[in-house]
Amino acid sequence: MTQNETNWPVALCATDSGAQAAAVNALRELLHVGLRIALNGRSDVSEAHLEDFAQESLLRVLDRLDQFQGRSQFTTWAQAIALNVAFTELRRKRWQDVSLDALLADGERLADLAVIADDVLGAEEDRTRLVGALRNAIEKDLTPKQRAAILGELREMPFDQIVELLGTSRSAGYKMLHDARRALKQRLQEAGITGADIQSAFD
Amino acid sequence: MKTKEQRLTREQVGGIVKMLGLTTDREFNCSECLQQVSEFAERQLANQPVGEVMAKVEQHLALCPECREEFEALMKILKAGQ
Repeated sequence: MTQNETNWPVALCATDSGAQAAAVNALRELLHVGLRIALNGRSDVSEAHLEDFAQESLLRVLDRLDQFQGRSQFTTWAQAIALNVAFTELRRKRWQDVSLDALLADGERLADLAVIADDVLGAEEDRTRLVGALRNAIEKDLTPKQRAAILGELREMPFDQIVELLGTSRSAGYKMLHDARRALKQRLQEAGITGADIQSAFD
Repeated sequence: MKTKEQRLTREQVGGIVKMLGLTTDREFNCSECLQQVSEFAERQLANQPVGEVMAKVEQHLALCPECREEFEALMKILKAGQ
């Protein structure tokens, strides 16, 4: 049987301890190879990192075996988990020195009306109207934490880091951000700006 | 008076506008996306159409730079294995 044909969930739970160990080792190697391909060329990733990510990913995959639904190949599903493990850790390291105060101060910049220029998207009347309505909605409809979260996202700060700094859970943080986006969108629509206007504004 | 350097760039404001354009009432979060992204990637690779669930994955990937980064890395692995 080739590696692609392996029934991984069965092999990883085999009662024969030798067979199970072989499957675990094969999966660790497969994850290691995938991570090497995905992270090739990054100066912040060493061989030791790859080893650590592969081991951590293996444990995560084994822990979630019951969540595999068989809707893709097992190896693709496992690689997706491994990449999540690796990128989450790399992002955490990159942003670990950002403080809550800095994030909230950044968010407050967004509440400052002068921080978004009228003509930032162009001088056409419909675009300046959209920008004006957006500024107004950001100031009136968002909480400081929502503003901070949105600016954190714009800076490509990891979502895990944003919610950690804001002292909330991932699901609550996601809801907070989703509520903020919906509130802004609704306010724009109330100002007569349609979804099509929003889409076309940045084409 | 704000200096030009303190102002948000066209790309940043455009980023907010794009986020709003993509916002819907019911969206996948990152965990839900991760659960489905392997199927989405295989479908993309095989040029298969996306259904309703996969459309939600696609929408989340358009909104979430982190999940998009991981998806692109997954595609890199899958393409290397072809």
